Amino acid sequence: MTPELTLQPDNNARRPMGEGHLTEEQFGELIAGSAKAAAAETAPAEAHLQGCEQCAAELASLRECLSLYREASTAYADRELRRIPQVKLPARRPLLFPGLESAYWAAAAAAIFLAALLPMQTLHRRAAQPAPAVAAGAASVSVGSESDEALLDDVNREESASVPAAMQALEDPSGSTASAGVETSNQTLDQRKD
Amino acid sequence: MAPENIQTFPSTSLTLGAGARATPLDDLESVVALHQPRVLRFLLAQLRDRDAAETLTQETFLRAWSARSSFREDCSIGTWLIRIALNLARDHTRTGRFRFWKHVSTNAVDVADVAASVPNREGSAEMHLIAQEQVKRIWETVAGLTERQRTIFLLRFLEEMEIPEIAEVTGLPLGTVKSHLYRALNIVRTHHTTQSREGL
Repeated sequence: MTPELTLQPDNNARRPMGEGHLTEEQFGELIAGSAKAAAAETAPAEAHLQGCEQCAAELASLRECLSLYREASTAYADRELRRIPQVKLPARRPLLFPGLESAYWAAAAAAIFLAALLPMQTLHRRAAQPAPAVAAGAASVSVGSESDEALLDDVNREESASVPAAMQALEDPSGSTASAGVETSNQTLDQRKD
Repeated sequence: MAPENIQTFPSTSLTLGAGARATPLDDLESVVALHQPRVLRFLLAQLRDRDAAETLTQETFLRAWSARSSFREDCSIGTWLIRIALNLARDHTRTGRFRFWKHVSTNAVDVADVAASVPNREGSAEMHLIAQEQVKRIWETVAGLTERQRTIFLLRFLEEMEIPEIAEVTGLPLGTVKSHLYRALNIVRTHHTTQSREGL
């Protein structure tokens, strides 16, 4: 497992290839580069590794260490996972009839549509019948004015009359109405005498 | 902290209507079982805070479930979940609250605990101790990287994503990802070789 334990690498990690070792970028390509990377990209570095034990050992050491890092982190996370509760999410209330969910949505949409449509229809109706409404209004105004005139005529008539309506019965005692009343009262008196 | 009014997610067969578009996230229990360890691992390494990692793991799946209809399957579920987790971690670390609690948190990841998790392969006890020290040093070195370098390093070496996939998750150009990755790797390598030279 441990080629890294005896490794004594060059202190300069960014040494250029010209000095006989891998550059930072080549090291990165070899360790972090895609596994599908074109062979042409890594071919010079691979060739160098064949003849440079130091770079080969350093590469193997770092790879091993990164592998340990991943394994340890995974094991630690797994241990933490057992400590924490299971992921929980808000429960959705099951529908009474699960297969009819789309029908519920359709009904809701229809209700909203109707609620929006009804006031619009009312407005349309009012807008479509302006003339009768005006005519009716005018008629009601004319009727009202006629009744007002009649009322005023009545008042004028009563005021111009010499005898108030309540006293008209006394104005002409010989009148039919009054005589009938007198006759009735005389008959009553006669009956009492009898 | 998770709200009180939550329940274990029920069988999705009860909740999905006949007309609903099926997504791979509909079977959420399986998705959680498969991807929760990975999401938690990434957040633990990224944030180094156990409570925050736990909360954001929960939040990641909640967000994924809420936005499942927008999952276009142009990437794997795992990649999509890591992208959500990464965005949540970014939002979390940019708040002042995180910076304050980072100083006083008693739930920070203990590097010794991580190092103690190194599998004991066939080898001497001394080898195992050296391996633990190496992991400890890498963990500390990664913690000292810039946020962007750390994110890209973790996505590559912890989550084993390919570079184009990392570019997709982070929204960075391919060249930028490579640049940050090689820089981060070089820092880790320098620390590692120094440690090796010191005889560990």
